[in-house]
Amino acid sequence: MRRVETDILVVGGGPAGLSAAIAAAGAGARVDLVDAGAAPGGQYWMQDPVAGATSQQAAEGSTAIASARAAGVAIHSGAEVWAAFPGGEIMANDAEGPITFQARSIVVASGAQDRVYPFPGWTLPGVMTPGAGQRLAKLGKTAPGRRIALAGNGPFLYAVAATLASIDATPALLVESGRARAAMLGLLARHPARIAEAVSLIAAARAVPDWRRGHVVTEALGEERVEAVRIAPIDERGTVDTARSERIDGIDALLVGWGFRPMIELTALLRCRHAYDRALGGWYCVASPSTGLTSVEGVYAAGEVTGIAGSRPARLSGTLAGLSAAAALGFESAGMEERRKGLVRALASARAFGHALGRLAPPPDGIADLARDDTIVCRCEEVTRGEIVAALAEGTRAVAGAKMWTRAGMGRCQGRICGSAVAEIAAAETGTSPAAAGFNPPRIPLRPVPLDVILEATRGSAP
Amino acid sequence: MVNRADAIVVGAGVVGAAVAAALSAAGRRVTVLEQGVPGGAVSGASLACIGTHMMDEEELPLLAWCCDAWAALDAQAPRFEYSRCGQLRFLKHDGERRSAETWIGIERAAGLAPELLEPDAVRRIEPELTGPIVAATWSPNSAVVNPFLAVRTLLDAARSGGAGIVAGAAATRILTAGGRVAGVETAVGRFEAPLVVIAGGPWTQDLAATAGVDLPIVPRKAQCLATVATRPVIRTVVGACKAEGGVDAGYTQIQQAASGQVLFNTVLEGGVTAAGGRDSVPEVDRAFVHDSVDTLLFLFPRLAALDLLRSWVRYEAVTPDDRFLTGPAGPDGLFVAAGDGGTGFVRSLGMARIVADRIAGKESPFRDDIYRPDRFVERAAA
Ligand SMILES: Cc1cc2nc3c(=O)[nH]c(=O)nc-3n(C[C@H](O)[C@H](O)[C@H](O)COP(=O)(O)OP(=O)(O)OC[C@H]3O[C@@H](n4cnc5c(N)ncnc54)[C@H](O)[C@@H]3O)c2cc1C
Ligand SMILES: Cc1cc2nc3c(=O)[nH]c(=O)nc-3n(C[C@H](O)[C@H](O)[C@H](O)COP(=O)(O)OP(=O)(O)OC[C@H]3O[C@@H](n4cnc5c(N)ncnc54)[C@H](O)[C@@H]3O)c2cc1C
Repeated sequence: MRRVETDILVVGGGPAGLSAAIAAAGAGARVDLVDAGAAPGGQYWMQDPVAGATSQQAAEGSTAIASARAAGVAIHSGAEVWAAFPGGEIMANDAEGPITFQARSIVVASGAQDRVYPFPGWTLPGVMTPGAGQRLAKLGKTAPGRRIALAGNGPFLYAVAATLASIDATPALLVESGRARAAMLGLLARHPARIAEAVSLIAAARAVPDWRRGHVVTEALGEERVEAVRIAPIDERGTVDTARSERIDGIDALLVGWGFRPMIELTALLRCRHAYDRALGGWYCVASPSTGLTSVEGVYAAGEVTGIAGSRPARLSGTLAGLSAAAALGFESAGMEERRKGLVRALASARAFGHALGRLAPPPDGIADLARDDTIVCRCEEVTRGEIVAALAEGTRAVAGAKMWTRAGMGRCQGRICGSAVAEIAAAETGTSPAAAGFNPPRIPLRPVPLDVILEATRGSAP
Repeated sequence: MVNRADAIVVGAGVVGAAVAAALSAAGRRVTVLEQGVPGGAVSGASLACIGTHMMDEEELPLLAWCCDAWAALDAQAPRFEYSRCGQLRFLKHDGERRSAETWIGIERAAGLAPELLEPDAVRRIEPELTGPIVAATWSPNSAVVNPFLAVRTLLDAARSGGAGIVAGAAATRILTAGGRVAGVETAVGRFEAPLVVIAGGPWTQDLAATAGVDLPIVPRKAQCLATVATRPVIRTVVGACKAEGGVDAGYTQIQQAASGQVLFNTVLEGGVTAAGGRDSVPEVDRAFVHDSVDTLLFLFPRLAALDLLRSWVRYEAVTPDDRFLTGPAGPDGLFVAAGDGGTGFVRSLGMARIVADRIAGKESPFRDDIYRPDRFVERAAA
């Protein structure tokens, strides 16, 4: 088995992880970076292994990857971290089998994934997340459909509209829950540097022939696959007014999502402190705004795992965490303190913008109630909302209780997909908050790993 | 807030749930208090094999009664995936035969029907067990249940008898008045009842101590692994033969749940490591993961490419002689039922029966003296 000893292990090769690796290696530390993707880049800097960098984002990413390599970062692509054992051993596996890392410090930059809430028809073929649709468009230049409906919240929808437009697949319908135009303008006025980007994103949304603000998709309809959607407005009290719903036909792909959820699996396994904020994606890892250090010694976190804020804070927090981790191990250089101070200021401002954006358009309250009794909530174990509600009525509670009594969250994805919805259903049914409902704690292995790989990885008499 | 009931059961694990069901069936109004999620502690982590095989000679009548009681519960409320699939215990070395034969003799004398099978016969029962074992014992009456649904079924039975279940209520103190139990104090208020049963698993001794009762229960780490769901591969409960130094003096349990997930664990001598608090739930030990996967693949080599999905850890309640502490303890009206020693699922219905019988002033259909909570105090004094 391969064993790698290093100063700093960076987990995640998106903007945050790459920035951390570049900064730490630049300071003189030995750095290894593990990323699950076929090529580093993460979401924002996603690299198309076939077509190469065809967008500005991808080009920025390939520059960052080249800088990391030039700085001496050892990049392990297609490698997923699945365990952390006491004594600082981190285990990953790639196509060739297990690798064990023994690092003095670790920077977790595991990013985020689409946040979804179940609704009738969401398991029909043709329904996917905006992130998945964007990935299809970015990686294979494939359109998810001919008449695409794009739905959910936040400016990410506009970014997806822009990506789809770039492959001549402009959506037919954009359904957005928010309508806070004035607030958005106010926010941009406070962050004028973001205006140009906003203008181009809004242009992408404008290009969609049918753009509904203040609406949500309440149902996907179709026999074999999605053929139509039902949408409904959100009333003044912020609740979905299903009495005024409307059916829109001729849809063959529905991309629906509610922003992102931080991928806290590794930070949770490492026992870092986490906090809950629905507008920042739910549970996120708490990291010091001045160093990126988590509540656990030697463990830093950067990027979306510390709360959804976007690619700019991801880069800045990555650099900051990389420098701080290196400095803590004694790799300090002249001018480093000044640079860190500048980063802390820039990060605070970039995060403030990202968080404000998140607060402008959180998922509407009661969004998990769109699911009907017979709607599947946990797709892995095929558990319906009705089964979860019945269990809660019979005396169990919280995410853990719903899991024990119904198996929701016990399948292959371990609740990564249904977790937010189960928490909100449990909270609504038992009169508590989603934060109090908790989350399904990740355990070893973080991702499914073949038994023979596990056997080889755990051989020997180490701790 | 003051709540009144005829009896309070502290703990909604399988033992507490069974006690609540038994007391409800006897016509008592019961309140069940659970600090966390009902069934969420040791019971929800259990492999929940219901059997008599290679357990404890003196407890055989009770264990046999328990097996029948579980079958009867299934007949009455078939919603917990009860399956009488039988149990195999493999022998890795010829030296283990003597021990296997001794156990078989003991169990046959008690009217049970285990036998010793050669590998060919084993494979007729468990076709994918292709590893190089030398033999296996076979106990056809062992069953498995879904632990979550079993606890839920028992709580449901209690509720249909009028019981209330309060989750998120940690009992902090036993209340007494005039030398008798009066109720319990909890984080969400006071609950009053003339009878209190503590079925708190590895936390029981803490609450008992507030009534001046000293219980010799210590927590022991128990770990388990699960693969992703797969096609039906394993039909029975597969374990290691209990033998002096046999199968490396450890234990193994392997079974496939109705969900299709393969659940398994192996603890070898020296493999039990890393202490930790029972409240902090640490990760599995690396050596444990290795030994468990190694044993599973030794027996079922075709599973090598199957994905491991999850691991978990719990703390079981262990007593000096590995038997429950069940019966009255301390002030009048206080009872305990805890100290499962790692196989409390099967015994839970029997422990509930002892408590219910003692409260009703009846005799149990099996001996209950070996579970007396004060037995160690008396021994120490003697
Ligand atoms: C589906 C999706 C699409 C997005 N599209 C855009 C967009 O178009 N524009 C925009 O501004 N923002 C987009 N975002 C927001 C995006 O999260 C940030 O802009 C930015 O990519 C965050 O950088 P990051 O480094 O924190 O995380 P990411 O870029 O998500 O990178 C995290 C990396 O860590 C890897 N990883 C995670 N866990 C492990 C593990 N256990 N072992 C090994 N590797 C691991 C992942 O595979 C991934 O490569 C998107 C987010 C998502 C979820
Ligand atoms: C991996 C594994 C495999 C196993 N396999 C088997 C098997 O095959 N067969 C078998 O028979 N047994 C098996 N067992 C053992 C069996 O699961 C346990 O013996 C049994 O579940 C114990 O039940 P319990 O109700 O005593 O404990 P628990 O389930 O722990 O219940 C005690 C409850 O009391 C609550 N509680 C404690 N104190 C308080 C308080 N002060 N206030 C409120 N609530 C409180 C706790 O939160 C808990 O829910 C296995 C166990 C494990 C971990």
